[in-house]
Amino acid sequence: MVSKTEETQLNRLENQVDNGGGGAWEYLCLVRKLKVRRSEKVLKYGLSILNDLKKRSSLGSEEWTLYEQVAIAAMDCQSLDVAKDCIRLLRKAFPESKRVGRLEAMLLEAKGSWAEAEKAYSSFLEENPLDQVIHKRRVAMAKAQGNISGAIEWLNKYLEIFMADHDAWRELAEIYVSLQMYKQAVFCYEELILSQPTVPLHHLAYADVLYTLGGLENLQTAKKYYASVIDLTGGKNTRALFGINLCTSAIGQLAKGRNKEDKESLELQSLAATALEKDYKQRAPEKLSLLTTALKSLKVSS
Amino acid sequence: MAADLVLDTAIRDWVLIPLSVVMVLIGVLRYFVSKLMRSNQVPDAKIVKEGQLIIRARNLRAAANFIPPKSFRARRLYYNNEENGLLIVPKGQAQNPQAQMFSDPNMAMDMMKKNLSMIIPQTLTFAWVNFFFSGFVAAKIPFPLTQRFRSMLQNGIDLSTVDVSYVSSRSWYFLNLFGLRGLFSLILGEENAMDDTQKMMQMSGFGFDPSKSLGAEKDSLDILQHDWALPKFEHRAEAVLRELAR
Repeated sequence: MVSKTEETQLNRLENQVDNGGGGAWEYLCLVRKLKVRRSEKVLKYGLSILNDLKKRSSLGSEEWTLYEQVAIAAMDCQSLDVAKDCIRLLRKAFPESKRVGRLEAMLLEAKGSWAEAEKAYSSFLEENPLDQVIHKRRVAMAKAQGNISGAIEWLNKYLEIFMADHDAWRELAEIYVSLQMYKQAVFCYEELILSQPTVPLHHLAYADVLYTLGGLENLQTAKKYYASVIDLTGGKNTRALFGINLCTSAIGQLAKGRNKEDKESLELQSLAATALEKDYKQRAPEKLSLLTTALKSLKVSS
Repeated sequence: MAADLVLDTAIRDWVLIPLSVVMVLIGVLRYFVSKLMRSNQVPDAKIVKEGQLIIRARNLRAAANFIPPKSFRARRLYYNNEENGLLIVPKGQAQNPQAQMFSDPNMAMDMMKKNLSMIIPQTLTFAWVNFFFSGFVAAKIPFPLTQRFRSMLQNGIDLSTVDVSYVSSRSWYFLNLFGLRGLFSLILGEENAMDDTQKMMQMSGFGFDPSKSLGAEKDSLDILQHDWALPKFEHRAEAVLRELAR
């Protein structure tokens, strides 16, 4: 994940380049380092550097990395001719390179010839069964074709070997949620929380899935996780505040006779409600009435 | 006789500085040669898997208090289950990595190459130092030493009454050998082949790492007590919100 300072730096560079100042090369390097997906801008500014002979020669050996970056951005923007040219140049420079072979397979994927791309990827994996990028491309291809169960299968195989790759776990969790396989999604989110316990996003997603699953125990756990999100973000996360309210009212509905739980939770809920109202007053005052009616209906039912 | 010897500045100009310069140059040369000679290693699938497994188990241990007790117990069982737990290495399979190393031709070649690139320059430089720079006092160490160090530091000097602080150029060579690592990481960037001391440490604890660390992880997981931290969070969240409301 990109840190705050890096994000501000990226935005600053982007503004600078957009408004005609220099610094296109630093911007491209930063995008490459942070692995952010800004394909249109990369394509535009990358091409402007590559087409200008003077700037290109000043890059030296870095120009090949730029070709690769522009090729991938071009494929993302579906300008397949640009991509083909870049890859052709790279192939001439590095005739035996696996990296260029991977780009060619990606071009096949972009064109839509799934079978050939699949063959190319399988042959790469035979030579080197531990190439992470190729595994991920295969999963992405299955997903793009709409073959979600195939994507799940490939991703599980990938995770059997590379179980510490938290991006893969996140992808798997999102796929499961899209298929409503919530129990499996819960497992994946737990993995994410284990590897990065201080990132509030994972707690939030986990709490969402638990709330969706329902059942008294899950609701109570969900409430706890919404509370941890509030703690981690200093109370600024609106979704978590809503989550607390919803959870409390749902718990109240399910467990009508339990007095102890009600007493504890009521304070948290009223605090969350006040925080929400304050937030809405600041940011969206015209919607405040909607909020108050919604909160009142929740309180009535709990 | 503890008289102060006056050392000729010519020693400094013609011994200490050239020796350091030569060692730096040889280090740089070795770095580039090792870069050229590095073969394309296909990492072993099993080792990668074990490495990732260890990271995952370690994450579980570190953040165990963030997940509900039931899921923690389920995961612990998954790892430590006697029959097919991930962290169990069956007794028969904990094979002797030394034997495995020598039987695998690729690994043996790699090890030899690495050792060669380290040993040969060291030996040559050492011989050169001994041949040219022996038989005289090269430097004075600023702090006093005991007599035990005499044999180590004063190898070429055959006078037994000279203060042990006066050392021969061989000790300057050793000083440079271990001290230039910092300089190399500045010049050559992070990855440089001058990590002699690191390599020497690596050679002693080789491939035995996977099965031992798996066993260690399993034991630490077994001991771990799960103390669910989440209930506390509810109270903390209340405190946060109260702050905000004020």
